[in-house]
Amino acid sequence: MSTLTVTVNGTARTLDVEDRTMLADLLREQLQLTGTHVGCDTSQCGACTVLINGVPAKSCTILAAAVDGAGIVTIEGLADGDRLHPVQKAFREHHALQCGFCTPGMIMMGVDIIARHGSGLTEQTVREELEGNLCRCTGYQNIVSAILAAARQGATS
Amino acid sequence: MSNPSGNHHAPASQGGIGQSVLRKEDALLVTGRGTFSDDRNLPGQAYGAFVRSQHAHGRIVSIDTEAALAMPGVLAVFTGEDLVQAGQQPQPLGVAAPTRDGSPMRWPRWRAMATGKVRHVGEALALVVAETSQQARDAAAAVAVDIEALPTVTTAAEAVGPGAPLVHEDFAGNVALDFHFGDTAAVAEAIASAAHVTTLPIVSNRIVVAAMEPRSSLAEFDAESGRYTLYHACQGAYGSRDVVAHMLGVEPARVRILTGHVGGSFGMKAHPLPEDLCILHAARETSRPVKWTDTRTDSFLSDPHGRDHDMTIELALDEQARFLAIRIGGCGNIGAYMTQGAVFPAAINQMKNTPSVYRTPLLEVNTRCVFTHTAPVGAYRGNGRPEANYYVERVIDTAAAELGIDPVELRRRNHVRPENLPYESAGKQLYDSGDFPGVLDDALKLADWDGFGERRRQSEARGLLRGRGVGQYLEVTGAPGREMGGIRFEPDGTVTMLTGTLDSGQGHASAFTQVLVSHLGIPFDRVRLVQGDSDQLAGGSGTGGSKSLVASGRAFIEASAKVVDAGRQIAAHELEVAAGDVRFLDGRFTVPGTDLGIGLMELAARLHGGLDLPDHLPRTLDVTHLHDGVPSAFPNGCHVAEVEIDPQTGATRVVRYSIVSDFGTVINPMIVAGQSHGGVAQGIGQALMEHALYDEEGQLLAGSFTDYALPRATDIPPMRIGDHPVPARTNPLGAKGCGEAGCAGALTSVMNAMADALRPLGIERIDMPATPQRVWRAIRDARAAAAA
Repeated sequence: MSTLTVTVNGTARTLDVEDRTMLADLLREQLQLTGTHVGCDTSQCGACTVLINGVPAKSCTILAAAVDGAGIVTIEGLADGDRLHPVQKAFREHHALQCGFCTPGMIMMGVDIIARHGSGLTEQTVREELEGNLCRCTGYQNIVSAILAAARQGATS
Repeated sequence: MSNPSGNHHAPASQGGIGQSVLRKEDALLVTGRGTFSDDRNLPGQAYGAFVRSQHAHGRIVSIDTEAALAMPGVLAVFTGEDLVQAGQQPQPLGVAAPTRDGSPMRWPRWRAMATGKVRHVGEALALVVAETSQQARDAAAAVAVDIEALPTVTTAAEAVGPGAPLVHEDFAGNVALDFHFGDTAAVAEAIASAAHVTTLPIVSNRIVVAAMEPRSSLAEFDAESGRYTLYHACQGAYGSRDVVAHMLGVEPARVRILTGHVGGSFGMKAHPLPEDLCILHAARETSRPVKWTDTRTDSFLSDPHGRDHDMTIELALDEQARFLAIRIGGCGNIGAYMTQGAVFPAAINQMKNTPSVYRTPLLEVNTRCVFTHTAPVGAYRGNGRPEANYYVERVIDTAAAELGIDPVELRRRNHVRPENLPYESAGKQLYDSGDFPGVLDDALKLADWDGFGERRRQSEARGLLRGRGVGQYLEVTGAPGREMGGIRFEPDGTVTMLTGTLDSGQGHASAFTQVLVSHLGIPFDRVRLVQGDSDQLAGGSGTGGSKSLVASGRAFIEASAKVVDAGRQIAAHELEVAAGDVRFLDGRFTVPGTDLGIGLMELAARLHGGLDLPDHLPRTLDVTHLHDGVPSAFPNGCHVAEVEIDPQTGATRVVRYSIVSDFGTVINPMIVAGQSHGGVAQGIGQALMEHALYDEEGQLLAGSFTDYALPRATDIPPMRIGDHPVPARTNPLGAKGCGEAGCAGALTSVMNAMADALRPLGIERIDMPATPQRVWRAIRDARAAAAA
């Protein structure tokens, strides 16, 4: 067991975890933050993407013990109370989700893509940047539209 | 006509039929507050992990659980023999098909865990239950399984060959179903006397369904009441309950199915699967709630797969290139066991869908469903409909090339025209509505078909091959059985809709509410939909075959009429007029010629407040309605694809994509556009990338997202969407169903475009998946042949 201190969605926490616990399992099982989804076991699907110190990462592949001292933002931490984050709002308005399982990872990745590219983001860049996020429902078209729309509105996390 | 994004929003306060209202569930889903199966937990729950066969075929010599049982946290280990001793029944057959010789269809025992023999890699052998999921997984690795390997067969062609190992001893030649439809002599005569016959061998490659949410079950047994509760993702809680009850050998009333958000299904979660039954057994035996969530690696091996056909289609034409007959024959590889809908893809849905939008007077189908040592094949988006359309559209383009006729002209010459309707197809389906020539014309316009020459020149200038393809299709949707339309006026002023279809991303909550808004004038935001609780359902045949909207839509329209009927009587009493004088319009009961009136919602509120009504009047507006079924509908459309191929590498890109659809009355254009996008992406995946390929020993070669080419954002082009709706005449909504159509249009248009691009090189046949390697080899071989 290890003890780690992390800030999750703005709240500092000290947690005891088994050494082999993955960050995704810590979030889902210990903290009941079930918005972070696990869709594969080979770091391919990206449904588990969270921001660690502002950088997107696949939480299914990172040991919880490795994020000691870090600040983590999950899908539950994006909205400001009832006010959706602009990327969440854009996903809703552009019908960028169907079953919604990949959505948390897509949104977290979208936040990062916009933060890095800003309003000059192109469709091709969005598609390339989504390399690590799989969706089986939407054909990606509306996900791309939503991220572009949020970027145009100057959305940054 | 064109509506490129499909996103035209109307204020949610309106929200009736035809508006792109935003989805009710999205506020939860974009904030991580959904309730998918693995998100649920029960106090005191234990965790399950499966031991699976690593052999495709073998005799189980022993399963030694001793070491596992001694490991920390382990509560129990169960095997197939335990389930048999507990009286668990094998999977029931869902649908039987007529057999060639008229004998009753048989099906082999498919038990939740193997006994005696294993028949595919990934088949469950033992279930370990422990205090934590890690402990369960650790102990599963300690279960020692001794299997004596036996010879395997993994392709249908080999399985029906002489001397092939038998998957089930009592199914000679590995044939599960020998299906025949049509007049053999008449078709043979038409083919023999035809001016031209085109013969095309063609395949539908095996697909891993890969819903993004892995399967997960959480089971609970209440010893006092003897009731089981299963939380799991499915496509219909009512039907799921009956299957579970049958397999457990208990009355349906002793099973409750609860389903939250379903993270994609596409047919794969259509019925309870082996692991669900094992978890239920474990919950009873351990007196603990037991939860199991699949890993993606295991889901590749044990989720039902899709497709896998090896067919030959023949098209006979007369001197004017009019279609005389189609004959299709071959095999569907259904894997090691029969899933509930196993007879659809290669048999029943070939019969129903092969005629498509064309006047082909004769059809013969000769197909066999064949067992192999591979994962069972189940429903996958379209479940035979996209394949039937694919086969016929490819043979039409091939015939056009052979005859030197423009493929568009060949289609026009053979369309069922609006004036031919109603029209009974050679597959015995009565088409009620449609404008197939108009749909084709619109698609060509949207795609700028005539501008292709210039685009091809530009591609060639960059050293690329370019091709274009039309994919016109018609799908015969699943005929909805009994479906429920429940409407409940709650004390808090909201309305609950209940129905037995089940959403897995299709946006039912908004679409069904829109029906209620239009028919009862109830405010959109006051309505909530309940589907995933079998205790609250009086019936329901579930989701599948693109039928949910037609099935639930009709149920809610009829239920609405009952609400209005009851409401009119109560309103008349309240307004002190005769019921015959009361009209219902826009959510209000009024008396024409007076200013008397009362809103439906206000009436509901008064009823909850307590009204003093005479005995002959209804006491409630609540309705539990069940209809007996709705005829199949015939969604159709035309897709046009353009591809670019790099002849140096064989890499293909779909560079233009246009969709024109006739889905009848469209309830929510935004949602329908999304369904098209997703279906097309799955179609492009199958056409160019995806292949669930087994080696000769029955090991899956593409067993993870690292190896299996699931389309990513760069693989899918932007799509233009147009609409050419002709309302269906066979259901009160006029809707036709849109869920599976994207695949039908995409397989056909993309592969016709591939053939068009490669034909100038002398390449006559290219099969799915047209991967870079396959395309590169075809080009290399064609060039070598040309040089020789």
